[in-house]
Amino acid sequence: MSNLHEWEPVIGLEVHIQLNTKSKMFSSAPNRFGDEPNTNIGVVCTGQPGSLPVINKEAVRKAVQFGCAVGAEIALVSTFDRKSYFYPDSPRNFQITQFENPIILGGSIETAVGEEIKTFQIHHAHLEDDAGMLKHFTSFAGVDYNRAGVPLIEIVSEPCMHSAADAVAYANAIKAIMEYLNASDCNMEEGSLRCDCNISIRKRGEKQLRNKIEIKNMNSFRNMEMAIEAEIERQIALYTHDPDAIIPKGTYRFDLEKKETVLMRLKEEAEDYRYFPEPDLPPLLLSLSFVEEIKKTLPELPKQRFHRYIEELQISPYSASLLLNDKPLCDYFEEALAHTSNPRLLCNWVTVEFVGRLKDSGKTMGSSGIPPNHLAELVSLIEKGTITGKIAKLVADEMVLAPGKSPNAIVQENPDYQPVSDSGAIEKIVDEVLQENPQSIADFQAKKTKAYTYLMGQAMKKSRGKADPSILNAILTKKLESL
Amino acid sequence: MYQLSANAIRDLILKGEISALTMVQTCLKRIAHHDKEVGAFLSLCAERAVEKAEKVDAKRKKGEPLGKLAGVPIAIKDNIHVEGLISTCGSRFLSNYRAPFSSTVVELLEQEDAIIIGKTNLDEFAMGSTTENSAYQVTKNPWDLSCTPGGSSGGSAAAVSARLVPLALGSDTGGSIRQPAALTGVVGFKPTYGRVSRFGLVAYGSSLDQIGPLAASVADTALIMEIIGRHCSRDATSITAPSENYGKQLLQGLQGVTIGLPTSFIQDLSKEAKANFMQAVDLLKSLGCTTVEIDLSLLKQSIAVYYILATAEASTNLARFDGIRYGIRSERAKTLDEVYEFSKQEGFGPEVKSRILLGTYVLSAGFQEAYYRKAQKVRTLIMKQFASAFANCQIIAMPVSPFPAFPIGSFQDPLQMYLQDIYTIAANLAGLPAISVPSGFSQDQKPYGLQLLGPQMHDGAVLHTAYHYEQATTFSQIPPRFNNEVLG
Amino acid sequence: MFELQEDDIEKLSKLCHIECTEKEKKKLRQNLSEILTYAAQLQEINTEGVAPCNSVLENRKNSLREDEIGDLLPRETFLNNAPSHTGGMIRVPPVIKF
Repeated sequence: MSNLHEWEPVIGLEVHIQLNTKSKMFSSAPNRFGDEPNTNIGVVCTGQPGSLPVINKEAVRKAVQFGCAVGAEIALVSTFDRKSYFYPDSPRNFQITQFENPIILGGSIETAVGEEIKTFQIHHAHLEDDAGMLKHFTSFAGVDYNRAGVPLIEIVSEPCMHSAADAVAYANAIKAIMEYLNASDCNMEEGSLRCDCNISIRKRGEKQLRNKIEIKNMNSFRNMEMAIEAEIERQIALYTHDPDAIIPKGTYRFDLEKKETVLMRLKEEAEDYRYFPEPDLPPLLLSLSFVEEIKKTLPELPKQRFHRYIEELQISPYSASLLLNDKPLCDYFEEALAHTSNPRLLCNWVTVEFVGRLKDSGKTMGSSGIPPNHLAELVSLIEKGTITGKIAKLVADEMVLAPGKSPNAIVQENPDYQPVSDSGAIEKIVDEVLQENPQSIADFQAKKTKAYTYLMGQAMKKSRGKADPSILNAILTKKLESL
Repeated sequence: MYQLSANAIRDLILKGEISALTMVQTCLKRIAHHDKEVGAFLSLCAERAVEKAEKVDAKRKKGEPLGKLAGVPIAIKDNIHVEGLISTCGSRFLSNYRAPFSSTVVELLEQEDAIIIGKTNLDEFAMGSTTENSAYQVTKNPWDLSCTPGGSSGGSAAAVSARLVPLALGSDTGGSIRQPAALTGVVGFKPTYGRVSRFGLVAYGSSLDQIGPLAASVADTALIMEIIGRHCSRDATSITAPSENYGKQLLQGLQGVTIGLPTSFIQDLSKEAKANFMQAVDLLKSLGCTTVEIDLSLLKQSIAVYYILATAEASTNLARFDGIRYGIRSERAKTLDEVYEFSKQEGFGPEVKSRILLGTYVLSAGFQEAYYRKAQKVRTLIMKQFASAFANCQIIAMPVSPFPAFPIGSFQDPLQMYLQDIYTIAANLAGLPAISVPSGFSQDQKPYGLQLLGPQMHDGAVLHTAYHYEQATTFSQIPPRFNNEVLG
Repeated sequence: MFELQEDDIEKLSKLCHIECTEKEKKKLRQNLSEILTYAAQLQEINTEGVAPCNSVLENRKNSLREDEIGDLLPRETFLNNAPSHTGGMIRVPPVIKF
């Protein structure tokens, strides 16, 4: 990345999340994905004349839960507005949203970006209804209103992110919170989580914000990361080429092949949505006791687990965030945790070794068939010194191939895996190694520390990785010192 | 039989003295004979009505309990849905739109065994005061066939006035039930905002609209209000208070009712209209009411406030008519933009287009503060002025319309037309219950109406005062003269 | 007299997506100007410190619904009113992808 010491990216995210209520935001039509077109519809979400919106209690509850989870202010009085625009996927040609008085104000997200812990500010969050879907064909387009009316919570951040990594970490953290609250499926491919980015850059130290552009329709966090990085580059190049340039406001999409952001349309004039209060919905009134009740009954949140992991379990922030951003994986880890006394080691085996092994098959820890206590068992075998780290990797391979087989059983069945703790056998190996490597002995005596490591490695190799490391270490040291 | 009230019809049916089927058939015969002249109905649902009538008769024969409106024929304004029937809303746009659901009010009426006879004519999308804005036909005033019945519920008013049906439903956004009721000599009632469900009413001005009854008597009005005046879970603006027994409230004595008179506000009435109004007030005094001066000077702003707020809401309520999901789609349209633009061009009449454009203007960036937000504030002030007035009286009396029925084609200038609503609009702005009850006739035998208003939720009190006034007069018992050739 | 310009009517009809003939636009311009002139009288009313009336209902209570499924609109009924449909979807001319 060029010139980031000179230029500061300023990024804000608008995250739209579909709430996983049974019925839609303003009507009792089913909230379901993937069914035949126009089979989950009612009179409200198809904009039939004479239909009226009525607010879904559960959607309000989930929004308040989110607000409490991010420490936001819950507006005890919030209102809805009509937002006018014409498009076939809009059943009424106006969306019912919250423009003037949203239900959630402020709030913050604390998460790891790499190994650094950062806090990002939320501006507000509000409830609104989703639009239907357009399917494009060559000579026509088809409209499906199944998705129309699905409850959305739109979370708008402050422009407080300064890198693609920040944005991805923030988005992941929001996703995690929603999953922990069981408020959404958060599936970017199905569209239950959508991110729009607003990006501008400015000279470091500059106080004013320059014109921003919007990137939409990124369907994965990886794509979002690439899109933001590409856009930052583009803007830097523009300003470098012409320091007085004014970037025209517009909406862009990310071209995966070209790896560039591509202009979809310019925002010549801000579109006039003519927001005004929704006359069919009186103000939404919440009581303090309702809000308190929700605060009290929140499930454990990612933030709490995060702090538990780094403070109590000594797991690194980066590893902790890997776990937290994947709730099923994290839940798996929590189960395994109950059976282990070395959380750090367990974390490494879960997040690196096993996840790596499962990648190609597309399986998750949950669907691998490997019970969490087996992971804990493997870790304890390593800790006790029953097997070496190297052997453990082979055992892990077998655990993946034969899920359900316990590590103990695997080690028992294979003599090659059983550690050699017979001092005699180890001594014999050490002798052989010392004989074969006179130069290393000389190096060791010349205080070259690498020599020792080399000799250990050779001995371990000769033992096919089975030598008990602490016994081997003791014997080798003794022999070397006596030379 | 056609002169019977709804209450009387139901009683006869309950006793078995007439059958529901006979009632319906008589009704349909009268409509077939007279509606050619009046033009009250846009469509009839004869088969459906006969089927329902037969069911009612069967229930009665079996001794099963019957509803409060058993066998009573009722007409429904064509912007209120009856499932399976076309709801045109008086517009070309919806000429082929079959309602996929029934409005709550229709469900409630049918639960009480009322029999829907047909859908009545209206100004397109309820926008107008003469029913001349209908895309389909002109409705005539049964009292003078060269005159309009008023609007927008002109069809419903004419149907009841000509005694084609004993009851009808209309909708009132700025006076659309009360004004046609006054002009056709029947009783028209707009309930407190939220008292009657709007689910199934095609929205015009969402914060102003109410469905209400038109009938030949206050007693019938009270009956139907008992049935439709209740909470509806499909309308978030529906009042949660329980329904009331208005019929019982009618029978209480009239002593002690103080009536507020906004004398300065009604200065501009014609001599005849003023005389009619004062005569009504005098009668109320003779019945035991006292009167008191009240200040409603802010009501002079009502029309301006109304035409900003109602059109703003309407511009968004009618945005959905775009040729995409229902209604007509222009055959000329090749692109998406053309589907929108040509369908709306062909589907909407001039008054509707005008109000949509006006509503869009007052909401648009740069103007919303000066128009929409300003009007919202003046609305608050109007509500406050009413509240002050009601501190000194229980009921407010006002005229309904500055003039009795006027000839078809009288108004070329929309603004002049709008100014006729001056007495009725404020009740919608403040959400107040208001009734128009026949109060006499003009020199050329055209009806006048007296308007009575009450504070929110005082529907019973309004009906009560109106009832006593009605009982002391004979105006609502006189049907239009042309009715004299009758078919049984 | 407050006067709307031809340009204003042009913009408005575009915003509302209604195609108006020249004759209609002329009439609209005249009528709307008249109405807006009349509406200007509101400017003389002092509304300082007055809250806008966003809800005329005096007794404010929430009217929310339980999260339950009900009242489905059958696809056939929905499509029966549609000007054009195909494969269960409403059919419209091709649209520029947003």
